[in-house]
Amino acid sequence: MLMEAVLIALWAGIIGIDLYNGLTHIHRPVVTGLVVGLILGDVTTGLIVGGTLELIWMGMVPLAGAQPPNVVIGGTIGTAFGIIAGQDPNIAVGVAVPFAVAMQGLVTLMFTAFAPVMHKADQFALQANVKGIDRINYLGLSIHFVFNALIAFLPIYFGAEQARIYVQQIPQWIIDGFSIAGGIMPAIGFAMLLKIMMKWEYVMFFIIGFVLAAYLKMPILAIALIGLAIAMYDFYQNKNRKGSNLTGEEEMADGI
Amino acid sequence: MEFKDCHDQTPAPDLTWKQLRQMGWRSLFLQASFNYERMQAAGWLYSILPGLRHIHQNKKDLSKAMKDHLEFFNTHPFLVTFIMGIILAMEQRKEDREAIRGIKIATMGPLGGIGDALFYLTLLPITAGIGASLAIEGNFLGPFIFLISFNIIHFGVRFGLMNYGYKMGVKAIAKIKEGTKQITRAASIVGLTVVGGLIATYVAFNVNYVWKSGEAKLNIQTDVLDQIMPAMLPLAYTLLMYWLLKKGRSPLTLIGITLVIGLIGSYFKIL
Repeated sequence: MLMEAVLIALWAGIIGIDLYNGLTHIHRPVVTGLVVGLILGDVTTGLIVGGTLELIWMGMVPLAGAQPPNVVIGGTIGTAFGIIAGQDPNIAVGVAVPFAVAMQGLVTLMFTAFAPVMHKADQFALQANVKGIDRINYLGLSIHFVFNALIAFLPIYFGAEQARIYVQQIPQWIIDGFSIAGGIMPAIGFAMLLKIMMKWEYVMFFIIGFVLAAYLKMPILAIALIGLAIAMYDFYQNKNRKGSNLTGEEEMADGI
Repeated sequence: MEFKDCHDQTPAPDLTWKQLRQMGWRSLFLQASFNYERMQAAGWLYSILPGLRHIHQNKKDLSKAMKDHLEFFNTHPFLVTFIMGIILAMEQRKEDREAIRGIKIATMGPLGGIGDALFYLTLLPITAGIGASLAIEGNFLGPFIFLISFNIIHFGVRFGLMNYGYKMGVKAIAKIKEGTKQITRAASIVGLTVVGGLIATYVAFNVNYVWKSGEAKLNIQTDVLDQIMPAMLPLAYTLLMYWLLKKGRSPLTLIGITLVIGLIGSYFKIL
């Protein structure tokens, strides 16, 4: 089992990277089903469980930046359990879901823990250190790999059924709390943008954008187009005004 | 006389197709260093870095550009190459740093929504649906059909937009003869309108508490807060963060506070 668990862990590491980087979507359960099936020597069951998980988890995509339950860990553990225990795909889903949800919480933590590294990145930028920026990104990729590989390895090696009991002991409020915090987090990023861009003369446009989204529920593209229309109006108004000012001065000069 | 930020203000020579392609590949790592403080910023800088190096031979200029591109950034990872193309064209012409920032912010939000609709709500369900239905019948071709059809479009869009964005950027900038100041102002107007919308759309902060008194029930979110103003908490919280940042608090502290709020809210079942 050690050999198989290691191979599955390697696969989980690779698709753990693909989930956020590369995005070739080899991380979807339909592909994982085939690969885990090959590793465990039962391709047909792997395909069936992977395909079933795929259809059930079709909506698990990072829409608008929200973190859905993790398909990498859910997919690998679900398929492996389905094949090893010879279970119905729907039971495999039931086993996989707690792992996928717990992993989602861990990913939130990981995204939080990586924030301090940005200050190192700032230093590299000050020194125009290109290699340093490269290294920070490669470090991130390595962490994704190790993290996913490790989390996939443990339950498969020690038995998914056993591991599920441990995972389910994590209080639900902690996992929910991470997910709530993850939903609020973009506020910090937007606040940083405001700190850089906001001037009194622009506050009105900020208000317009907010009202269009909050009250009129307009999509961002529509809001951007309205912003563009205002900007163009403003642009040509200023241009005309400047133009007329110039002619005005000329006339005065002529008169004198 | 126009004020420009760059030490060396001569426009850099055009980027070659090879360089654009290289940056297209690097854009695959856009989220390698994703975090809640700057989101994709460091990955974004990583993606355009070869171009910046080519453009800014002066080390001070390069450092300034790098620092600017480490600011908060988040967009759709498939469509990012379009923004890269436009921004590289602007960098090449040594446009005002504030104008570059404005365009970056103005484009990142709308592309996020378009990308979701295009890739996650259309392309993925169709291709993965076909692949999965084959796989369930035990057909090993299912995963391959999914991967091939999905990625032909994925990579076609990624590299196509890189070239298109750059070409469009170069052409558009050549046409605009007005001063950078007006362009900066226009870009900031669009940028801040979009940020206002983004806060209401993407910050998820809801009270999940129903106040009960005998027969009467009062849902704090829908009956009270939304009646005063929709998306009030996202706006208030963002402004609070803005104020704390201005007071000199580090973003890290704010991330910590947010995490604690999430956990407390969850424990007492109010968020």
